[in-house]
Amino acid sequence: MSDSQFYENQFLKLSEWFPGAVGVFGPLMLALILMGVVFGYLVAAFRHGAGEGFYIVAQTVGGFFPDWLRMSPRRVWAIARLAIKEAFRRRVVMVTFGLFALAILFGGWFMNSNSDHPDRIYVNFVAFGTQMLVLFMGILVASFSLPDDIKNKTIYTVVTKPVRASEIVVGRIVGFTAIGTALLTLMGIVSFVFVWGGLTHTHQIVGENQSIASFEDIDPTTRLNQLGRRVSNGAIKTFQTTMDDGHRHTGELIEDIRDADSPPMDASNVVSKEVLPNGQIKYRRVIVDLAAGHTHGVKVSGDGDNATITLGPARGFFRARVPYYSDSLAFFEYTGARKEGGVDVGRELNRQGFFDGGTPWLPNTLSRAEFDFSGIVESRFEDPNLVVLEMNLGVFRTTKANIQKRVLGSWQIESVPENPEEGRVVSERFTFESQEYQTQLMPIKRKIVGQKTDESGNFEPSAEFDLFDDYAKNGKLKLVLRCEDPNQYLGAARADVYFRSADQPYAWNFFKSYLGIWAQMLVIISLGVAFSTFLNAPVTIVMTAVTMLVGFNTEFIREMLSPDHVGGGPLESFYRIVTQNSMVLELDPGIGSTLLEKSDQLLVQMLASLTYIAPNFSIFNFSESLIYGYDISLDRLGVAFITAFAFFIGFSILGYFSLKTREIAK
Amino acid sequence: MPAAEVNTKEQSSKKLQQSNPDYDPNIVVEAQNLSKIYHDFWGRQKVRALKALDLEVRKGEVFGLLGPNGSGKSTTIKLLLGLLFPTSGRALVFGKDASEVTKNEKIGYLPEESYLYRFLTAEETLDFYGRLFDMPAKVRKERAAELIEKVGLTWAKRRQLREYSKGMVRRIGLAQALINDPELILLDEPTSGLDPLGTREMKDMIIELKEQGKTVVMCSHLLADVQDVCDRIAILYQGELKELGRVDSLLKVSDETQVRFDNVPESAHAEIRAVIEKHGGNIISMENPKTTLEELFLSIVRESSERPGHRSDRAAN
Ligand SMILES: Nc1ncnc2c1ncn2[C@@H]1O[C@H](COP(=O)(O)OP(=O)(O)OP(=O)(O)O)[C@@H](O)[C@H]1O
Ligand SMILES: [Mg+2]
Repeated sequence: MSDSQFYENQFLKLSEWFPGAVGVFGPLMLALILMGVVFGYLVAAFRHGAGEGFYIVAQTVGGFFPDWLRMSPRRVWAIARLAIKEAFRRRVVMVTFGLFALAILFGGWFMNSNSDHPDRIYVNFVAFGTQMLVLFMGILVASFSLPDDIKNKTIYTVVTKPVRASEIVVGRIVGFTAIGTALLTLMGIVSFVFVWGGLTHTHQIVGENQSIASFEDIDPTTRLNQLGRRVSNGAIKTFQTTMDDGHRHTGELIEDIRDADSPPMDASNVVSKEVLPNGQIKYRRVIVDLAAGHTHGVKVSGDGDNATITLGPARGFFRARVPYYSDSLAFFEYTGARKEGGVDVGRELNRQGFFDGGTPWLPNTLSRAEFDFSGIVESRFEDPNLVVLEMNLGVFRTTKANIQKRVLGSWQIESVPENPEEGRVVSERFTFESQEYQTQLMPIKRKIVGQKTDESGNFEPSAEFDLFDDYAKNGKLKLVLRCEDPNQYLGAARADVYFRSADQPYAWNFFKSYLGIWAQMLVIISLGVAFSTFLNAPVTIVMTAVTMLVGFNTEFIREMLSPDHVGGGPLESFYRIVTQNSMVLELDPGIGSTLLEKSDQLLVQMLASLTYIAPNFSIFNFSESLIYGYDISLDRLGVAFITAFAFFIGFSILGYFSLKTREIAK
Repeated sequence: MPAAEVNTKEQSSKKLQQSNPDYDPNIVVEAQNLSKIYHDFWGRQKVRALKALDLEVRKGEVFGLLGPNGSGKSTTIKLLLGLLFPTSGRALVFGKDASEVTKNEKIGYLPEESYLYRFLTAEETLDFYGRLFDMPAKVRKERAAELIEKVGLTWAKRRQLREYSKGMVRRIGLAQALINDPELILLDEPTSGLDPLGTREMKDMIIELKEQGKTVVMCSHLLADVQDVCDRIAILYQGELKELGRVDSLLKVSDETQVRFDNVPESAHAEIRAVIEKHGGNIISMENPKTTLEELFLSIVRESSERPGHRSDRAAN
């Protein structure tokens, strides 16, 4: 699936999406129905003559409403039950589950790698495996059913009962979806246990006993830990854990001096606490370093050097973060003029826009990124006294500056009054060291020092203002990010900077991501059953699979149509791969390459037109969110379900018409 | 049958009368100029299976479609059921177009081979078809048990149809055709695959249905079956209607008299011959009567292949 599509889907709002979707879907349905009627008439007129053809079409159209409104649940369920029995008899379901079980059994052997993100590998494995198996099972059962029924003529005894074509189509879809649901549930439970069991682990501290006494002193000349990495500034001792699940952690005992009113966020790891004469407090805390994408919580019992240290379960896996994204993001260049997409740093594949820190000669750059938020209200946050801002910033360094040093950035918030004449509240700038390739957590206290402007725009003296009552009085808030290091750049995209609320339970997110697979399955089964009303089984399988692949690659295929696409279409790319030709070189001109290009154009053109009929599967694909630890919003779930049901209805109607107008005994 | 069901049936037939002013409740099946041409995939004409068939089947009669293999009997029945669409002409059942599903409420159909789901048991089969008639569970159960008993399969009701013999499948096929207590029963070669006993039972069943006031349309090339149970027959040859009329009048040969007697000794035969000869008569044969329908049938076939086209209207209705 295309990255940018996934990216856009993050911000889907059901209420904004729905009117647009109805606007597209309604006319599309109408056009399809109209086309169907015209096409139906042409076929009927060709077969039976103009007058008789008209009669046939009129009868078919007239029968539509009774056939749908008088559907009997009992008959639909009878057909569904038969479809279920039949699918079990074909053993497709058993084979699918068998393959899944094998994958889980043997997959586990290859999973315990010491990767940066074992959780992503695990979840990706089960989610992708489940998705593919369930969808292919759906295609198989849906494609064989009707064609076999027609071939064996068992359909004769069914359609001569008071069964409506709508019931035959919908009953099958319901039946196969029921099987798929059962299978998906089973696979979901197994997957969850597999992922949870595979990642749950803890470690012990290496040494004589599980206490501070086992920690090692730090060599003051190198300040490196056991694994040869530099320790942090406040570290006074280091330790190492046992190797479990293919990785080990290092950790530190750090000394941390804090103001009395800002205790550490996590108090469980505090070993000792000492009040200094100036009123500040000196904490000694045990911190476990990040390894394989996670750390561990620490439990301290007792105090001093004899305090026993126990590592808790992994932290950083199984998250379902709830982000509050900004409504819009704008970049400004050093002159302060607005610049679409930020400063061009030559990284074209990156979605992020960049902003610079000026140069030593021009330090006061106005370059910045402005995020506009709305709906910032107290009730949306877990702890309104400590709101968490999360950032995944990109860093672009130039050699003119120190390449080792972390790049400094700053954040600042501003009120956005409805009426520009009203005074604004602007906070101070708070600097931070950017953590490259890592998610950066920024706790923001409720009371923030800032300045208010009066009517004429002049700043009043600094004072403390309230995040919710002053800065975001109307729910709107502007967040300004700047790069504070000359000759360096920071980059951000809309999805990279967000406020965080309380996490959702991971199991619930897992479930929601499987609901996404369910929605895909519904679409695929509906499509397969619709195709099977007029195609034979093998052709149905191929057509459904092609439509599915087109649906998965909608964005990609449309991109191939764009003029500056590199490497040509599918045939040309294939040729290049076979001949090991570079993707960017021009092919030698000649009849061969012209032919290749022309047939490519035709193929891509055809695929591209298919993308407008095939559902765009990125709407249903939630596994990225699950894998990267983001909550799947109910908005996205709603969009996915409405879309899936729209396709279910659309394909059912298509199947209905084709079955109704088909001579069964031919 | 529960009262509610009777009620809906009455209502639906009332509705029919309102929607179709020409509807005569005494005419159950009507073919008007019904023709069927089978086309191949490219729309080219392949077979003219039925040519301008006109016929009416009245309420309460047993109607037989006769004809050699490939003469269009099954095609006619499929057209009446809406399984095929006519190339021209109309097929009406209960006054409704054959493509209407609602007519199926009162129809039972036994296909030429029993096209049933082989992975279902007899009970499951009848339960499935009962559901298709929207019958409540209790009614389905009673009806299924009753029919399985009737077709003599109680001993095998829990076995999958894949294990059934041809005749057993045929019997369960008949049971499914009767699940809804239909008004009109269409039987495509009902006795094929049945043993002599089964054939006898099938015929008795058809007569029983007739006694209950049901209408039966059957097709067959087993003349004895047709002769035994049918009130009227139509004979098709290569898609054309060759004969249509009451069985008894079709078979009556006006210038011949058949005499049957028993308890007369062999010695008396000579006397009887003498009497006939005295009156100038000519003895054709003196033996037990034959299936004379066979003769009629064969003569039609012979005649038709010599002189294509409609036969003279020799039979009175
Ligand atoms: N699906 C079909 N496609 C093409 N031709 C067909 C098809 N079904 C039947 N026919 C042709 O139509 C003609 C009539 O066939 P039909 O099955 O109606 O005969 P029938 O009278 O039932 O014969 P039988 O006694 O053998 O059952 C035959 O010539 C047959 O070959
Ligand atoms: Mg036949």
